[in-house]
Amino acid sequence: MPEKLRIIIVEDEELARNLLKSFLKDIDNIEVIAECENGFEGVKMINELEPDLVFLDIQMPKITGFEMLELLDHKPQIIFATAYDQYALKAFEYNAADYLLKPYSKDRLKEAVEKVAERIQKEGKTSDIAEKVSDFPKEEYLDRIVVKDRHKIHIAPVDHVRYIESMDDYVMIYTTEGRYMKQKTMKYFEGALDPKNFIRIHRSYIVKVDEINEIQQYEKESYIVILHDKTKLKVSKTGYKNLKEVLNF
Amino acid sequence: MDFRHPFITNPKMAIYYGLFWLVAATANILVLVFGNGIDVLEAVVEVCAFLLSFAVIGTAIWYVIKFSTLEDNNFWRVVFAHTIAASIIIFIWIYFGIVIIKVFHPDPSRWIEKQIANRIFAGYVLYTIYVVFFYAVNYYNGFKEKLRNEGKLKALVKEAELHALKSQINPHFLFNSLNSISSLTMTDPERAQEMVINLSQLMRYSLKHDQNEKVSFKQELENNKLYLHIEKVRFGKKLNPSFEVKEDCLKAEIPNMILQPLYENAIKYGVYEATETVDVFTGCRMTKDGALEITIKNTYDPDVLSKKGEGIGLRNIRDRLQIIYGNPTLLKVEDNKKEFKVTLTIPQK
Repeated sequence: MPEKLRIIIVEDEELARNLLKSFLKDIDNIEVIAECENGFEGVKMINELEPDLVFLDIQMPKITGFEMLELLDHKPQIIFATAYDQYALKAFEYNAADYLLKPYSKDRLKEAVEKVAERIQKEGKTSDIAEKVSDFPKEEYLDRIVVKDRHKIHIAPVDHVRYIESMDDYVMIYTTEGRYMKQKTMKYFEGALDPKNFIRIHRSYIVKVDEINEIQQYEKESYIVILHDKTKLKVSKTGYKNLKEVLNF
Repeated sequence: MDFRHPFITNPKMAIYYGLFWLVAATANILVLVFGNGIDVLEAVVEVCAFLLSFAVIGTAIWYVIKFSTLEDNNFWRVVFAHTIAASIIIFIWIYFGIVIIKVFHPDPSRWIEKQIANRIFAGYVLYTIYVVFFYAVNYYNGFKEKLRNEGKLKALVKEAELHALKSQINPHFLFNSLNSISSLTMTDPERAQEMVINLSQLMRYSLKHDQNEKVSFKQELENNKLYLHIEKVRFGKKLNPSFEVKEDCLKAEIPNMILQPLYENAIKYGVYEATETVDVFTGCRMTKDGALEITIKNTYDPDVLSKKGEGIGLRNIRDRLQIIYGNPTLLKVEDNKKEFKVTLTIPQK
C-alpha cells in the first residue's frame, strides 16, 4: 500500500475550508494534516510539517498565495483553489499541479488529487514551484516585497526600498526599516521594479533614484553614487549610461 | 445625401418664394406701365414671359447645386458645371420667352432686337443669385441636420457612458458566494437556501434597473444589506456591518446600485486584507438644503499597503453623479490611515 498523501489547506474562508475537507474525506490515501487561515500560518506550517500537497487560495489577507510560495523552504506540490480565473496561466507557468476554479465539484477535485499522486510517483515528492515563482517576471511592477526575517515575515513596501545588492545566490534588500535577504536574482528585480524609480547602476546594485545624493567621478571613466546617508556604491559603464538616461544629464 | 427639393420638404418656403415673385412681378408691371409708359397688356406679357418663367425654371437650379456641391468638388469643376447648366437653362428660358412674345406681343421682332441681349445678361445674373441662394439653403439644411445629429449623438453617448459606469456585481463575488453555498448545502442546508434566495434577490435588483432610474434610499439600502449579509456568511466575524439610518432619509431618491461599489471597496480593502474584525458603518441624514447625505466608513489594517490613487469604483460613481446631477463634488473621500470614509450627497429636486 502506498504512503498517504499529506495535505495542508491554506484558505482564509471557513466555508471554503469546510467544503474542501468534506470533499477530501471521500478520497482514499490522503490525510489533511493542517489548515491555515492565511499565508503567514501557511509558511510556518508548510516549512514545519513538510506536506506533499498544498491547497492554496490566492486572494488572502496579508500576503497572497503567490507571495507565500516565495517564502517556502520546503517545496510541495501546489493545487490552487480560487474564484479568479485570471491567475490560471500564471499558476501553470509556475508549474502548479492544478488550478481549481470555485465553485468546483468533488469529481474535479478528485481528478486534481489523482494528478498530483501520479506526478509524485513520476517525479518524486518535491516540486520546483517556488523556484519558478522566483524568476518569473510579473505583468505589473511590484508594490511590495515579502521577505522572511529569521522567523518573522516582513512586508516591505517598494517605496521603503533604498537599494538592492547582489550576494551570490541571494540579494540583500536595504529598506528604511533594515536589511533583508531574499532568494531572488538581480535580473528579477531589474524587471519587477519600476525603471522610473529604480536604476541598475552596477552588476551588483540596483538603487532607488530618490536615494541618490551625488554622482562622483572616482577615477578616469569610473564613477560612484553617494546616497543621502553617505553610502557609496560603485557604478559600471552600463550603469552610468542607465543613470544618464533616467536622470537626463 | 438628401436630394429632395427644399420647396417639397419645406412647403412654407415654396409659398414665400411664390409670394416673392408675385410681388416682384406686380412691381415690375407697375414700373413698366407707370414708369416707362408701356401698355398694360405688353407689360404683363413681358413679365410673364421672362420674370415668372424664370421663377419656374429657376427652381431646377437646386439639382445643379446638389450635383456640384462645394465640399466634394474642386472650384473650377463647379464653375464649369454651372456655366454649362446656366447656358442650357437660359437657352430654354429665352426660347420659351420668345415663343410667348411672338404669340402675344404686338411688335415681336422690334422687341427681340432691342431686348434680347439684356435678357440673356439678366438670365446669367438671376442664375448666379439662384446659385448663391440655393447654396445658402443647402448649407443651412446641412447645419440643421448636423445639430440634430449632434443632439442625438450626445444623448447616445450619455446613455452609453451611464451604461458603462453602471456598477455590476463583481463576478468573483458571485463565484465565491456560490462556493459558500456549495459548502453550506452539506453542513447547513437551511442557511444555504437562505443564501440562494438573498443572492437571487440581489442579482435581480442589479439587473433590473436601468441606469437613469432612481430608487428610494430604502430600496437601495435593503439590497446593499443583502449584499453585506451574503458577505457576512463568507467572512463571519471579520465583517461587522452597522447602520444608523433615520426614518426621514428612507423616502429620498437615489440612483440605483450606486452604494454597492462603496461596500465592495470596504470589503476588498478592509475585510479581504484583515485578520481582525472590520467595522462597516452606514449613516445618513437630510441636509438643510434637502439633500440626502450618506456616510459609509470602514476600518482597515493600516499595515496593509493600500493601492495608490483612486480606484475605478469611486471614479465611476463620481462620473455617474456628474452625468446625472452635473456636479462632480457630490462624492467626498477621507482616509485617516485607520478608517476610510466616503460621504455621498444626493440632491433631491
